[in-house]
Amino acid sequence: MFGKDKEGTERTIIVEHLSKNFEVTEKESGLLGSFRSLVSPTKKTIRALKSISFSISQGELVGFIGPNGAGKTTTLKVLSGLLFPTAGFVQVLGFDPWSRKPNFLKQISVIFGQKNQLWWDLPAIDTFDLNKAIYEISDNKYKDTLEELTQILEVKKLLHIQVRRLSLGQRMRLELIAALLHQPKVLFLDEPTIGLDVVGQQKVRDFIFEYNRRFKATIMLTSHNMDDLIDLAKRVIVISKGEILFDGNLKELVDQFAKEKIIKVYLAKEADVKRFAEIGEVKKFNYPQAILSVPREASAVAASELLQNFPVADLTIEEEPIEDIIRRVFKGEVIKNKS
Amino acid sequence: MNKYLQVFKISFQQEFAYRISFIMWRVRNILQIFVVFFLWDTIFYFQGRELFGYDREKILTYVFGLIFVKAFVLSSRAQDVSGEISRGEIINHLLKPISYFKYWLTRDLSSKVLNLVFAAGEFSFLYIILKPPFYFQSNPLYIVVFLVSICAAILTYFLLLFIVDSIPFWAPEMGWGGHFLVTVILVEFLSGSLFPLDILPITIQNVLNFTPFPYLIFFPLQVYLGKITGILLFKGLVISFAWILVMWYLMKRIWEKGLKAYQAYGR
Repeated sequence: MFGKDKEGTERTIIVEHLSKNFEVTEKESGLLGSFRSLVSPTKKTIRALKSISFSISQGELVGFIGPNGAGKTTTLKVLSGLLFPTAGFVQVLGFDPWSRKPNFLKQISVIFGQKNQLWWDLPAIDTFDLNKAIYEISDNKYKDTLEELTQILEVKKLLHIQVRRLSLGQRMRLELIAALLHQPKVLFLDEPTIGLDVVGQQKVRDFIFEYNRRFKATIMLTSHNMDDLIDLAKRVIVISKGEILFDGNLKELVDQFAKEKIIKVYLAKEADVKRFAEIGEVKKFNYPQAILSVPREASAVAASELLQNFPVADLTIEEEPIEDIIRRVFKGEVIKNKS
Repeated sequence: MNKYLQVFKISFQQEFAYRISFIMWRVRNILQIFVVFFLWDTIFYFQGRELFGYDREKILTYVFGLIFVKAFVLSSRAQDVSGEISRGEIINHLLKPISYFKYWLTRDLSSKVLNLVFAAGEFSFLYIILKPPFYFQSNPLYIVVFLVSICAAILTYFLLLFIVDSIPFWAPEMGWGGHFLVTVILVEFLSGSLFPLDILPITIQNVLNFTPFPYLIFFPLQVYLGKITGILLFKGLVISFAWILVMWYLMKRIWEKGLKAYQAYGR
């Protein structure tokens, strides 16, 4: 039922040469305009995904990153059966997602950070009861799962309060429970920490990590939040303009794309800082410390030049911070040395 | 089946979430009945006067019957569907092992049950203060056919809304407009919820009888009043059931297409 790769591990998600085009109707404004575009629409094709391929094994937690409009959400929507692929092969848990078989839907869950399923005017427990019925969860399993999830997320006291009276962070944690009561084997998370404060983000992150560990769930996560990825994902898939630029360990990503090294210099006495610019890009200067960014291969030369020409008290060469690299990836910086 | 029972339950709870708005809506309902009641009461002020085949008793029964039939047929939750589509919230449902159509039908029924309870209260209240003459149908056959036609009306209206509410699949900002056109203009005027349709010129009536609208309000009430009998009654039932089949088919096709066209892009 599941695809197997060379090592014989189960591949939960298989995507081969997946393309997705959108026909976007350009709308005129106003009621009359939209009527006109209903009758004779002007159409434009957007190629959101251009023949992407990857596969994810059972229990993996994969970060899916890229700039806005790269195709992240589109991919998740195809994988969860919300969108029909234009071309290519997609299989999740042995199912074709688009046919949306109940048995498939019962094993997956999708959380879109900006779309809520909790009933706004009612306490969260009512939504949970509804989901229990919809997913046909047995009484015992429901009780245990709810108990466990409320405990990890520390929301026991919130269950009987109207959702609209809760804070965003509290709500998001309850959303997670609503999405996980049926213990999905595959979980798609689209920007799960969006809009949360630092503490809220951390709680959600810890939970995702814990859920992955405890339930051996396969998790695919998109996020703009670099901390999400650094904390959670070992493997990342970088996507930009509908194409996969990188697929591998987060560490490899850093090695591959860290084109710069950071040189920190502590000056013993004042010097002409303008001359720093001849050696590398000055990121920050705050006497006595200067931070320079230099191309990787030139770092040794740069360091010796600094030592020769400046009154240096101390000097360190460091890797570019992981955040900066991912930020560059988010900005859609074209990465040419593709693996 | 348990799923839909739970949907029924939560939907019922939801109705009570906004008490003030609910009460205001019921008050508006009562006022509407008052207006229509006094209008017709004035017209039929003289005893024994008969107009368009109605005497005072029958027209006032019509008006009072409206309370019930409207509460049961036109009260609907399904108008929220267009909003769910244009806001993209529909995906929450599509991701679950549940039929969207049955989900809303259940929510609709729960809303109707609630309405019926309140309509019964309002009916008693208005009956006591207005003391209208009321025509109680005694022929069990007509009562059964009346109930059947009410069920048909409920399904017709639901299908109608489900079709109209699919507009945002193609034009997200058109949801409200389409809904307004159907519920306010077409249904209110052509269903007989403002006036009995048989006061209209006969040619217009003949045309109307082939549309689904009279079968929402006017037809069931006429059946109750015993004003439609024999072959006409049969013809009416056939047309209304034919419409259900046609709209069912249309709805299925439109939703299939709509879901495919729906890209939930950035929504």
